[in-house]
Amino acid sequence: MLRAVSSRLRNHGHGVPAATGGDGHAPADVVEVEVAPGTEAIVVEAAPLFSPSPGGWVARGLVWAAVALVVFVIPLLRDPVEANIYTQAVIYAIIGLSLNVLLGYTGQISLGHQAFVGIGAFTSAYMVTVHGQPFFAAVAVAMAVGALQALVLGAVSLRVTGLYFALVTLSYGLMAQDTLFNIQALTGGSAGQPAPKPAMFQSDYRYYYLCLAFLAAVIWVDWRLMKTKGGRALLALRENPRVAATFGTDVKVYTLMAFVVAGVFAGLGGALLAHNVTSVVLDQFSFQLALIFVLMTVVGGLRSRAGVIIGSAFFSIIDYLVFGKINLDGAINQIPGLPNLPGELAPIVIGPLLLLFTLTTHPGGIGQQIKPVQRWLKGGRFSLHGTGEAEVRVSDVRA
Amino acid sequence: MTAVLAHRGALTGTAVALAAVLGLVAVGSEQALVIGLITGAGYGLVALGLVLIYKSSGVFNFAQGEFGTVAVYALWAAHTNGIPYVPAIALALLAALAMGLLTERVIIRPLFDAPRVTLLVATAGVSLLAIGVEIWLGEARLRFIQPALGRFDRVSVLGIKVSDQRMLILATLIILAVALALFFSRTNLGLAILAVSQEPVATELMGISVRRLSSLVWGLAAVLGGLGGVLTAGVVQNFGPSFITTSTLIPAFTAAVLGGMTSLPGAFVGGVVVGVVQAFAIDLGGEPVFADIPGPGTLSVFLLLIGVLAVRPQGLLGKAA
Repeated sequence: MLRAVSSRLRNHGHGVPAATGGDGHAPADVVEVEVAPGTEAIVVEAAPLFSPSPGGWVARGLVWAAVALVVFVIPLLRDPVEANIYTQAVIYAIIGLSLNVLLGYTGQISLGHQAFVGIGAFTSAYMVTVHGQPFFAAVAVAMAVGALQALVLGAVSLRVTGLYFALVTLSYGLMAQDTLFNIQALTGGSAGQPAPKPAMFQSDYRYYYLCLAFLAAVIWVDWRLMKTKGGRALLALRENPRVAATFGTDVKVYTLMAFVVAGVFAGLGGALLAHNVTSVVLDQFSFQLALIFVLMTVVGGLRSRAGVIIGSAFFSIIDYLVFGKINLDGAINQIPGLPNLPGELAPIVIGPLLLLFTLTTHPGGIGQQIKPVQRWLKGGRFSLHGTGEAEVRVSDVRA
Repeated sequence: MTAVLAHRGALTGTAVALAAVLGLVAVGSEQALVIGLITGAGYGLVALGLVLIYKSSGVFNFAQGEFGTVAVYALWAAHTNGIPYVPAIALALLAALAMGLLTERVIIRPLFDAPRVTLLVATAGVSLLAIGVEIWLGEARLRFIQPALGRFDRVSVLGIKVSDQRMLILATLIILAVALALFFSRTNLGLAILAVSQEPVATELMGISVRRLSSLVWGLAAVLGGLGGVLTAGVVQNFGPSFITTSTLIPAFTAAVLGGMTSLPGAFVGGVVVGVVQAFAIDLGGEPVFADIPGPGTLSVFLLLIGVLAVRPQGLLGKAA
């Protein structure tokens, strides 16, 4: 592996690669070139690597500590009701990452993700309440069921792509809502199914840390997935399935793999969601929820793990945060002629506005905006340039 | 060649529809047949708008249902404030038109070069925004609305009484499907819209304003959606937030897919087929054998959609790809 400065390539009249690839961590003007053994090395010119000053390290450390404080300590200091809301934010992050696998990595849009999540929730509640299984076994079953249904839908997506697949998932979501979630024996019908918290994690705080651990596992799996052969195959598939197939990428296997991963994440998210509120009712999984899942992922920024997590958490607590803390409904109440905007409506009134804003002007979402900060936190130089604006687009979704 | 294929497609479609009709009459489900036919007309009306937009800009418009719901709210607001029914309908259609034009100007036009699925997400966003605003301003409860034509004992089909409002929907749908089909095949404007959908750049070079046509199409589709909403609400007489989206959008999409996504008469035929299948499924769901299956209507539409996409993705009246 050799490092070649791209300005050399430019001098030789070669095309200049526009950006350095998905992660964008490397400085924009350095390209990594693989040189086969036996061939003459072209250029070996090490780019001057940036290293922060001691003060810089301290500043970065402080910011990391602040992030850790918000994630690990702050929820512990709030009352249990609030801890419950933070837990929901963590679970939404898992669901957002699940949708990110489909939307961001395979380019298939799911408008029926509330069904994925709902089936996970009902499965886990059913296993715990009806069969008396322990929590972790129930969660494992929920993940397996999630994988299974994702596999079926993945098989459909191989035949039906783009707009038509979106339509199928939307129809699937509505069908789940009307039919699957109404099967009395499995879901308890309109009364719902109780889903108690596991014995070890009865307190809202402990459950929060449990969900955090699951989120960490999901992030790790997602990160490993994208770093391995499978991840590169998925990226190639999203760019151009035909070209990828020509180069020997097995379209079927990798698409199905992505669907299974997304299904497992969604099943896990659903199960955790069910036990967080200790009961599952079918009204929780309405058609609006699927749209909220899509918009939190898109606003978060496709293929940006940090962006998706922030976006999902934001949409999960937006009603509480904006309306409980800043008391915006008081302000809206002051506008004559408009009725009170209740907090629970915030996601479906403010959310779509953010979505449309993201799509039309900032296609990279939150992930794009925080990229300079992310790079700085990892010990890079703070620079607003080279964030790969052209790279991240919802548009990569296959049509 | 394509003409022959299209012809064969039309024949297949008619044959399937006829076989279904005969089958249903044979098993004594005239009730399901008539109800399905009339409900399907409502689906067809919404499907017309979907096909119109898909035909001209290749977008799946998930906000089409909300054009209808917004019109229903406008009708309700106008009518309860003392405006007579017919002018209130005109106001409702104006509201839908305004929403359509606004959507086109603010969302669709900036995303003109974006891939189609981006636009789909955007229209889904518009739909969610409309639902949110409906719940916010109109409260999350059911409201009552009168039908345009109140009588229901005048017409009977196969021994089943059909209300005047339902007949009005059927008549509106047939007239609109034929008028739009003629518009696209006979008028310069219609041909220009088709040209834009096939070759936007070349059309622009021929001196046709792509933007103006885009506004026209979205306005037209919004008015169609509004009309569908207003008439359907008159039949159900109860409506709430996201009314048309949850009740009609998926059957309408299925109808459009069944009709081949680009065929206006196909949307009509597809709507009727979906309506009949759904009504028959609901009828069957009443039988003791299937009593354990909840939501037979939605389930049947889902299975129909999957079936059509698996067996005949170009639809009954669509041209072979």
